[in-house]
Formats: sequence, structure tokens, C-alpha cells
Amino acid sequence: MKIIVAIKQVPERDAQVRIDPVGKWIEELDVQFALNESDAYALEEALQLKEKHGGEVIVISAGPERAGQVIREALAKGADRGIHIEADDLGSRDALGVARLLAAAIQPENPDLVLAGLQSEDLGLGQTGVILAELLGFPHSSLILHVDVTAKGLKVKRELEEGWFQSIELPLPAVLAIQSGGNKLRYATLMGIKRAKTKEVRRASAGELGADASPVVILEGISLPQKQRSTQILPGSPKEASAALVEKLRFEARVL
Amino acid sequence: MSGVLVVIEQRDGAIGRISWEAVAAGKFLGTKIGVDVGAAVIGAATESAAAQLSAKALAKVVRIEHALLAQYTSDGYSLALEQFIAQDKPEYVIFPHTYQVRDFVPALATRFGEMLISDVIAIADGPVFARQLLQGRLQGSYRHTGTGPCLVSVQAGAFRADALEAGSAQVSRFTPALDAAQIRTRPEPPFRGSEQTIDLGSAQLIVSVGRGIKDAENLPLVQELAKALGAELAASRPICDNGWLPMERQVGSSGQTVSPRLYLAVGISGAIQHLVGMKGAQCIAAINKDPDAPIFEVADYGIVGDLFEVVPALTEAVKAAKG
Amino acid sequence: MLLPHATLAEPQHFSLAEKLIFLALIVASIAAFWRRFGAVLDKILKSKKDPGFRLFPIGRRVWDFFREVMCQARVIRQRPLPGLAHAFVFWAFCAFALVTLNHCATGFGGAFLDPAGLFGRFYSWLAAAFALACAIGIFGLFVRRFLVRPRWLGEDLSWESGLIALLIFVLMVTYLAAFFVTDTAPAARVLWWIHSLTLLAFLPVIPHTKHLHLVLSPFTIFLSRGGFSAIPSLAGDEDFGLVAGKDLTQIVSLQTYSCVECGRCSEHCPATNTGKLLNPKEIVLGLRGYLNEFGPASEESLIGKYVAQEAVFQCTTCGSCEFQCPVGIEHVPILVGLRRGAVNTGAWDDDHGGKLFLALERGSNALGLGAAERDKFIQRQELPIFDGSQEYCLWLGCMGGYDPQGREIIADFARVMSYLGTSFGVLRKEKCTGDPVRRLGNDLVFQQLAESNLETLQQNKVKKIVSICPHCVRTIQTDWKEFGTPPEIEHHSEFLARHLDKLGVSPVPRLEPGKEKIVYHDPCYLGRYRNIYDEPRRVAALAGDLVEAPRHRERSFCCGAGGGLAFLGEEKGERVSHARAAELAATGATTVAAACPFCNTMFRDALAATGDGAPQLLDIAQIAARGLPRGQPVKMNESL
Repeated sequence: MKIIVAIKQVPERDAQVRIDPVGKWIEELDVQFALNESDAYALEEALQLKEKHGGEVIVISAGPERAGQVIREALAKGADRGIHIEADDLGSRDALGVARLLAAAIQPENPDLVLAGLQSEDLGLGQTGVILAELLGFPHSSLILHVDVTAKGLKVKRELEEGWFQSIELPLPAVLAIQSGGNKLRYATLMGIKRAKTKEVRRASAGELGADASPVVILEGISLPQKQRSTQILPGSPKEASAALVEKLRFEARVL
Repeated sequence: MSGVLVVIEQRDGAIGRISWEAVAAGKFLGTKIGVDVGAAVIGAATESAAAQLSAKALAKVVRIEHALLAQYTSDGYSLALEQFIAQDKPEYVIFPHTYQVRDFVPALATRFGEMLISDVIAIADGPVFARQLLQGRLQGSYRHTGTGPCLVSVQAGAFRADALEAGSAQVSRFTPALDAAQIRTRPEPPFRGSEQTIDLGSAQLIVSVGRGIKDAENLPLVQELAKALGAELAASRPICDNGWLPMERQVGSSGQTVSPRLYLAVGISGAIQHLVGMKGAQCIAAINKDPDAPIFEVADYGIVGDLFEVVPALTEAVKAAKG
Repeated sequence: MLLPHATLAEPQHFSLAEKLIFLALIVASIAAFWRRFGAVLDKILKSKKDPGFRLFPIGRRVWDFFREVMCQARVIRQRPLPGLAHAFVFWAFCAFALVTLNHCATGFGGAFLDPAGLFGRFYSWLAAAFALACAIGIFGLFVRRFLVRPRWLGEDLSWESGLIALLIFVLMVTYLAAFFVTDTAPAARVLWWIHSLTLLAFLPVIPHTKHLHLVLSPFTIFLSRGGFSAIPSLAGDEDFGLVAGKDLTQIVSLQTYSCVECGRCSEHCPATNTGKLLNPKEIVLGLRGYLNEFGPASEESLIGKYVAQEAVFQCTTCGSCEFQCPVGIEHVPILVGLRRGAVNTGAWDDDHGGKLFLALERGSNALGLGAAERDKFIQRQELPIFDGSQEYCLWLGCMGGYDPQGREIIADFARVMSYLGTSFGVLRKEKCTGDPVRRLGNDLVFQQLAESNLETLQQNKVKKIVSICPHCVRTIQTDWKEFGTPPEIEHHSEFLARHLDKLGVSPVPRLEPGKEKIVYHDPCYLGRYRNIYDEPRRVAALAGDLVEAPRHRERSFCCGAGGGLAFLGEEKGERVSHARAAELAATGATTVAAACPFCNTMFRDALAATGDGAPQLLDIAQIAARGLPRGQPVKMNESL
């Protein structure tokens, strides 16, 4: 099975961020970057499928020079080769524009399966996988925790809300958006890093792929949220404090 | 192209709170830009949901109905809604940001050469849509510049559904042209994660209890709170060490690592071994009698007080809120 | 009364037949010896060469050889009575080298020591003195092994040991008996023959039993890598640690064949003592079994038939095995080497371990917490940021930066430094030193962390570091050297002890003089690894009277956290921390003084579990800070 995994390099989770002078993105020099978490799970799923059924795992990432780091990391963990779409202007493309770049690079590979992480940790739009499916003309399913290969294609376990799950069958080729937590991630090894040195990373520029860059949605600006995360101690009698807590959990934290 | 269309989600005729909030968001946007707001419901049997919607102050309610829409499929829903939007030509389409919406609306948007502005938490003049970036550390303002419909999904709790005005909307039907061959995925009925096995790792709500509970006899107090919330019960190491709760319920470096939406720590001081197991929670609330307990450093909300007084009060407050 | 003669009896005039029989027996004995010994030697020599092995500087080797082999220093110091008995056996063997040569030469009529001559008489009496001591010693050891039977010698009685003891005893007795007969007496000839036959029987027994150490261990000690628990650098692109037989180096092979199965390593091992699978002796013997079956060039995995993976990952790297070993086996590098082999190739699959590695692959600390949490602590505590102008860089470490208890230690130590007027600052960004991943054998992540930290330190022009964590100190000072030159570093106990005069004279050094009994727990990485025993005790003594736990200083018992085990989840069976905490509490101390934040965190729950009236737990920095003047908080920024 030929599997392509779309991965993204994102600012490290705990990075302290500052807004850049233009007010449209963060000051990237301050920040260290890492592989997006759900993409790591997508990669893990791909590697396990390969281990079970054979085939090839190709990772693809769009981004500037530094994004090469996550491609090498993926190769070290067991991917066979990489495709790096070199683009410094991703900030000016919307999710559709980025997905078009990826789709243009994926199409000629004729994959059996395309995996993407459910959602990025930076923009959090959570759409790339599904848009890719539409652009490639493949069926898809998202929030996937487990993948089984069947005679007819795939049977996947999809997460629903509030502790419910669902099994879905779909034919190949297909696109799956992988939810974090379905598998146990493997750690990078010294042996993997050494072996990765000889693996191929193909570079493609956005220009070559000829994808449309005009956005339909633009990020006008970014700002710090009004409330910084800090502990709110709720005062009053047990009854008052409890009522206040329930109110906060429902309408401020929105977790109930 | 005009008007706001809210597409709500229904299950067996029931409309969830987040869908009502999406209606509220649609009303808010409609009022802001001065256009009509309608609602649509998709399924094989939508009468009951449509009836509930029509009792609100909406310009219209549309039942997008077809036998092939009995079960949700991305292909079916995308095709049906694509046809309706092409005919109805709304300027804005508002969705609740549910798992279902996340699964099909990006594909639907792509068919129009558009992109979903997802997980919106506020709508400002413009309209400009605010959403969280970098997991809430920043907020971004998005504006639609495309020529087609603008698709937006709203986060749970971002708009208040309780202020929706009553009314009586005209209900109409739309029957999309669907063919079974167009639906490529085959969903099976939903199932619950096994009740027997304790799976704290995937639990969305967790109530966790620590040394502060003092005795195994006092556990029912916390169990009742967990039950009221619909939460899993967890514990810090000393509780499990004492055998008051099984080891599978232990959260921390030597137990489970959890990342629920809400982690409510009751009588837990917050030793590092415990903190590393629950730091991934989206929201942390803590009840502890010691205002200097380290748990308050990581908590979003805290109540300083005797858990034997606070927990019963909180259980009541939760029950009251859930009505 | 039977009195010895002045000279040793030596039979004269052997017949040709006797000579031929003797010669044939010698040949047979040497052949039997070589049959096994040659094979062992072959396995050792065919093992991989030790990369980076240097014979020079040879001074250390000569000194180690003199101390450990000739003087039997470790053998005696760690177990005085049996040690002394063993030493006499050893010394007697040395003395007998000449005697034995002469004895054999006699059989061919070529004796070169004249028993009546001045030197001959002196030497035979000297040898007799050793023979007597040896005979008593070996008898004592026999009694200990077969009648006293200490548990670390194992359940099964070793008949080999009995046979050897008997042979040695016979050798000594036949030698001594020759003083009671005359040269011409038939008894002299009988004694000579018994002595000879015993000798010729003894020789082939050596390589077939653990008594191989007689031959090998002097070399093992002379050739040891040196440096306590020294983890060797990986060499080349195909070295991932001890994966298969082909990775065993000559020194490791030599060590495995040198093991004398004395069980000292097991006696002090925290894992063995709490019922875990790991027994360091079995690891060494496992590798020996592997070499015997598969040989040194094998691709067969080392972890498998002879060595259990579970055991390998139960080691806390406390180093008590290596510290105790009388034949120079370096257990910790072997155990870490086996872990490296499993981790660097991805063969080790462990939920907690994987989580730790992933946390350190992308994050900054072993706890997997956000670096922002550390920033918050620094801000709240108003710790000065290191800017190159201060004397010390205060290294927080993962525990000091994130653990609520560790933070208390940092806060108190910072107060003490400010009080002393020592300028210091903390780094804005600091990553885990890599201690847990180093000991767990993840060389990739360790290298990333070491290099990143070395760069940060260089950018900030740090000259001196002080740390509250012995693991950080060890890793920075020793392990980072593979990747650069770390700044000078010391543990806070060393710093505090140096300033004791100023702390001691501050008001209220003792809260309740005479009432407080303090037991100090030696952290492995401060004691055995760094040889610091007195400094922390002097600081702890500020607040009360010191008492000692039964196992202390070099023989201190681990808390259970080292070797990355603090991050590997719940241990099986009895917890090491509980065993140690019970021992500390049983001293009747009111305070347990710790000098390592890992020990501290392990003992917190463990001491509470010892029941009511459990002693309080304080780091020595907290003890030192208790004596500082109260009421006028020391502002940290003002110290600059």
C-alpha cells in the first residue's frame, strides 16, 4: 500500500509567543518548531499499516526551509521518502490554497491512502485532510482512531462526541484525518536518524505546482486574548462559589 | 445572494444545545448586517426538528430530506447541502462546530471554491470572525474575501441560546437529487466505548480525588459529583495505594495520563507526579482548603474551601444547571 | 611433642619412572587447563576492540593494580573478615609461586632453593607462615559458605567451591607437614606426591570454574576503563550500544569471564533487594552464558535467552554493584550499554519510557510540562536572570524548575545565596541535562539536549554553575564532555559547606538545640558518583545532631529514582523508596536530610507511608535557610 502522510511543522506547544510588528503573525525567531501532534499520530498509523501490510510511506510537508526538519524526523521514524513543498508565503494562503499545493504534489504519486492529522496546533482550522479528499476526488473520514485494511478497502474507527464511536467502511483510495491518541507514538532512535540520511527528499516549489494562491478567507490580524490564562479563585460561600464555577465552566471555559 | 442560513444538527429529532447556539449566532449576524435568518435541518425524518425550529423567530425553516440522508455520510450531506445552497444562495451559512460539521463542511466549502471559517468564538463588525490560534494563546480575526457563500462554524458556548426569541417560521421542504452510488462510505451504527473498562485516557470530563478526602467512606460524596457531571472518577496515587479506588483510576506519572476537557481536582494538593498526568486538560478546576496548594498554580478556576462543604454544593449546582 | 624441623623436607632422587609419570601428569594438567582457558581467551580476544581504549596514562592502572590486587583493598574494606581470609589465601598464592616452581623442579632433580641455605630457609618459613594463614583462612571461608551461608551467595551450595577449598587446604597442609618429616623419610615422598597431584588437579579446575578469576581478574582490574560508572562514547555509525555479541568489547568479555560470583553486587542492589528480576550478577553471568553459546561475533540479540529486558530496565544506576565489585567489573556501563542497544534500535517498547523520550524530543523537560511553567516560577520568585555579570549560574533542573518541592529547595537555596552576597542568575531557557535519557540509553535525545544546553551556556558566557541536583551535576560535568566543554559545576552541598562559617554564626541555627535528630541520606549521584559525603553532613548538622542509617556513605541504599526510573511508572513488588524510607525512619530521626530533589520526591510519599510520627523531610538548602534571620525577607534582585 502506498501511503502519503501530510505533516506540518508548528510552533512548539509551550513556546512563549510575541506578535510581530505587522500584527499578522507571531515573531518566529523566538520560537522553536516541532511536528504537529495529530500529524505524528497520522505518521504512526501509516508506519503501522506499512509494517502490517507492506508498501511505502511518503511524507509531504509544505513550508519554508525549516520544515525540512519534520520531514527528516519522519524519515528517522520509518517513512521511506519525503516531499518538501518549499513555500515561504504560506501565511498568505488559506487552508484551501495550501491543500491545493499538497494535492498537486500528491496527485502524480497515485497513492492508495492519504493520511493527515486532524488539526494543526497553530491555526487549528482542522480542514486540510477533508479538503484534500475533495480535491483528489477520494472518499474520506475524519477523527479516525483506528484503521483496518479489509478486502474491500478500509474499516475505520471514528470518534463521535461524548464517548461514542462509529465504524465506517470506505473504498480505496481514500483520505483519513487522524485524531490524536489512537496509537502509541514511537520515539526517534539513533539508528533511525542514521538510516534516514540516505533517504530521498524531493523538493518542489509552489510555482512548479501551479496552484492558485488567491485566498478566499484572510487572517486580518492577531491579538492576545482579553483574558490571559491565570487562576481565578471564586469567592463566596460554598453555594455561591459552586454556582459561579458552573457558570464559568459552561460559558467561559465552555467545557460543560 | 443574501441572507443567513443556519444548518443545525439533529439526532432522532432532538436538537443539541450547540445547534441552538448556532441559531443564536446566525441571528446575531443577521441582525448585525440586516438580513433575514433561516434555518435548515438535514435528514430522512426532520419533521420534529423543523417543528422546534419553526417556533423561533426565523424567516424560514427548510427540511432537507431524503431517504439516503437517514444516516450521516459526508458524501450525502455534502451533496444535499451543495444543491440547496446553490438554489437558495445564502450569503452566510452558519454551522455548529460539531464532529459531523468538521467531517463534511470543509469538503462542501471546497465544492464552492470556498473555505470554512471554523470554530468561531465571536463575530464583530465587518463581519470579522474571531477564532482561537495556538490553542488559545492568541486570537485571530478572519474576513471572508471569496465570491461564494461564506461558511462559518461556531464553537460550543460562544453564543447564548437561552435568549432566542419565539416566533413562527414557515417550514418548507427541499428534496435533493441523490443516488446511492454517490455515497462512497458505509457507516455502522454508533457504539459506546465499553463501560466495564475504565478508559480515563479518552474521558472528556474527569473528577479526581486526592488525600483531602481523608477516608474511603467519604468517596460517595465525590462519586455523586462525578455522576451529576457525567464524568469519570479518577484519583491521585495515595488513594489508589490505599486501595480505596482501583489502580486503573490513578492519574499521574505512575498511572494514567489524561487530557479531558475538564479536570476537576478535589482535595488534591498537586504533587509533580500528579501534575504531569493531567496537565494536558483543557480546563482545570480545583477545590482545596489550602490556598497555597500547588494545584492552584495550574488551575483555571479554584475554590478555596472545605471539600466536604463545597462538593455537595457543587453537585447541586451542576444538577440545577443541567435542569 | 611433635615439633617442626628447621628445614622443609624435600625428597631426593626420583626414579626415571617417577619423572616420566610426573611429566605426563604435568602435560595432562596443562592440556586440561588450556582446553578451557584457551577457548575463553579466544572469545575475549575475538571480541570487538574497545574503541578509545588507551593504556596510558599507566600510573592509574598501576596504582589500581597495587591497591585492589596486591593489597586486596576493596576485598577487605567492604567485607573485612571474609575479605581478610581471602587476602591471606591470595598472598599465600603469591608466596607459593616460587615454592611451586621449586617443588616441580625438585621432581626432575633440579631444585634451585636449598632448604638449608639462608634464602631457602627464610623463604620456606615465610611461605609456611602464609600457608598457615591461608589454611586457616580457607577453612574459615569454607565454614562461612557451607555452614553460615549468607543469602547473597545464593540458594544452591557450590560444590565447586568446596572442592577448591579442599584442594587449597590440602596444598597448604601437605606443605606444612613437610616440616615435620626428614628428607629421607618415605613420608616426605608421599607428601610431595600428594602436594604435586593436588597441584596438578587444581590447575585444570581453575578455568572450568569461577576460579578463573585467579587468572583473569588482575588483568580486569589493570585494564578497566576507569572512572566510576563511565559510559563509553559510541564509535562510528554502526555502534548503537550492546545490541548483539558483536558489540561486546574485549574489556566487557574479560569482565564477564572474571566474575567470581561472590554476590556483593546483588547484596547491595536496590532492585535485587526489593524482589525485582534484576540481579547484577546474573546480568554478568548471562553475558558469559551468551558468549559461551553464541560467541563474540554473533548477531543474536544479547537481550533474550540469557539477559531479560525487564531486568535491564530495572537498574537505578545507583552503582553500588560496580562500587562493590572486587574483580573490577563495570556493571553500570554494561547495563546502560544493553539499554542503549535496545533503545537506539527502537527495540524497547515501554509506555512510560516512550512518553519520556517523546517529551524530551520536542520539549524542554523530562516532566513534559510547558516551559512557560518554569518562566512563571522564575517571575513569581523574582529570581534574577543570568546576564554574564553574576558569579554563578543557578541551574534549576527539571525538578527545581517544575516540581513544587524542588522549587521550594531552589527558593531556599536562592535565599541563602543572597544572604551570603553571592551573585547568581538563572537561565531564561534551560533544557533537561539529559540524565534520564542518558541512563536509559537514548543517545539521540541525550545528544540533542547536551548540545542545545552547551550552546545556551556558551551564549550566556556561563563560567560557574551551581545545582541542587546531583544528577544534573554528574551529567553536566561528565557526560556532556562527549559533546563539548561544560563550565565548572558544583553541587549546592559543596557551596554551602564552603560558606558554613557564615551560616553557622547566623542567629538561631538550631531551632531546638539537642532535640532534633537528623539522618542524612547519601544520594548515589553525590556519594558514589562524586565522592561527596562530608559536606552535606556538615550542613545538615547545622540544625541538629546527626545519626546514621545502617547503610550510609559508600554503601548508601538508593531511593529508587535514578537511571530514569523516576519516569518509568510504578515498580513491581516492594518499592525501593519505601524500603529506604523505612530504614531512615527507623533511626528515630526527627528529620531526614536529603541533598537530591529526586530522593526528595521519592521519599515524600514513602516517609508518609511509614506511619504516624514520620520524620520531616528537608533538603540541606532548606536546613541552611532555616537559620537565616527571619522577618526581613532577602530580596533576590537586591543582591546584585
